[in-house]
Amino acid sequence: MEHNLSKHISGKFNQDLENVRNHVLAMGGLVEQQLNSALDAVSSGDSDLAKKVEKDDYKVNAMEVSIDEECTRIIAKRQPAASDLRLVVAIAKTIADLERIGDEVRRIAQVALDSFSKEQQDLLVMIDNMGRLVSKMLHDVLDAFARMDVDAAFKVHKEDAKVNREYEALIRQIMTYMMEDPRSIPKIMALVWSVRSLERIGDRCQNIAEYVIYFVKGKDIRHTSQEDIEKDILKM
Amino acid sequence: MITVAPEVSNSTSGLKLDLENLMPEQTALEIKNLDLFYGDKQALSNVNMKIPKGQVTAFIGPSGCGKSTLLRCINRMNDLVDICRIEGEIQLHGENIYDKQVDVAALRRKVGMVFQRPNPFPKSIYENVVYGLRLQGVKEKRHLDEVVEKSLRSAAIWDEVKDRLHDSAFGLSGGQQQRLVIARSIAIEPEVLLLDEPTSALDPISTLVIEELIGDLKDKFTVVIVTHNMQQAARVSDQTAFMYMGELIEYSDTNTLFTTPAKKKTEDYITGRYG
Repeated sequence: MEHNLSKHISGKFNQDLENVRNHVLAMGGLVEQQLNSALDAVSSGDSDLAKKVEKDDYKVNAMEVSIDEECTRIIAKRQPAASDLRLVVAIAKTIADLERIGDEVRRIAQVALDSFSKEQQDLLVMIDNMGRLVSKMLHDVLDAFARMDVDAAFKVHKEDAKVNREYEALIRQIMTYMMEDPRSIPKIMALVWSVRSLERIGDRCQNIAEYVIYFVKGKDIRHTSQEDIEKDILKM
Repeated sequence: MITVAPEVSNSTSGLKLDLENLMPEQTALEIKNLDLFYGDKQALSNVNMKIPKGQVTAFIGPSGCGKSTLLRCINRMNDLVDICRIEGEIQLHGENIYDKQVDVAALRRKVGMVFQRPNPFPKSIYENVVYGLRLQGVKEKRHLDEVVEKSLRSAAIWDEVKDRLHDSAFGLSGGQQQRLVIARSIAIEPEVLLLDEPTSALDPISTLVIEELIGDLKDKFTVVIVTHNMQQAARVSDQTAFMYMGELIEYSDTNTLFTTPAKKKTEDYITGRYG
């Protein structure tokens, strides 16, 4: 079934849905930009940029609140049903995940406020690699959301396994480092948290992919194995 | 550690019925290959559905889609229309109501109907409720009194009228009149209650009272309701049938129909789009 936001008899309703959708995309764009800035700040040790990322998080929070309000208004006034209802629900959940991604980004930016030795720099490079992978995932899931593209969303969903593998490898590496040089542990812990944050962002991107699939297919695929999703839902 | 997920009910009635394969004991009405013509014009084409017992089933669809016509077929109201011709069957508990030997008056005792505008008789509240019983020849006052109280209680209007049972029914508000008419229909203990847009002439609060009442009625009766108000269908019914141009487009449990309809026509209608 094609999903066209317009074509309601009420032109105002078309506009309301179109607006809220655009606001989600704008919020997504902002979060993506924040993540990239945080990664830049960490890799270049730019504490000013890191502080700016921390400061700008309020914008993400404010957008979540205002989009939430829009969703509430639409539900109260329009009593959306079927795909319209699923869209509003998917949006309300997506923005909650985007807001939490914003919080994780702040945690990552804090790494840039510390200074690291030359050996520790190697770890930063690895974190940057993982960060770019996660950033791509966020970009792709927002793209899938914009186009309401189930196949693209499912691709992001599968991508999370790669991030998890990267996470485990990095943690192992960091632990080895800590064992070799226990005095560095307090400083290295900050890196552990940022790697953990990146892994969590991957999970949240996966959640958003699930909402896109929910909206388009009308099936809740949370806690469903990827084989089952591929077999039962995407073929519908 | 919790190993078993708590059971989460996803339906107002607690269980989701397989509407296509209802067991005979679960089925109140079965409509089979029903075609209906007004003169040359076909108003219903090949309608097939099973309406489960003790549940609320709603018919929705745009004006002229045949939902009221279908409802009226269930107690043979269309017999009164000269140019109307019906093919196919409607079975009430397994018996075709269009069989030649069926006594229409007896059928209508089993299948009560309430219309859009409240239509109390120009009599007292009491006499309105016992009207059907008097027709059946019941005279014993104690029995009549009991039925009046029971029916008015079931129709959630007893407390409002118990002190003025012998006043004219026309002194009641629209919402009260409609509940009185429902009490009149259930006084003769029908098996099925047909409601043809029962709240379209009422204010929102009276509407909610009637909707609440419909929820209580299904414990005793099978309720079939036609409504123009989609949110009402979503609120009160267990099953919803969407009709369009005389055809049954989609029939499923209400939760599914209003969140993930299978057909595009249904989707367009319930989301207010033009197809």
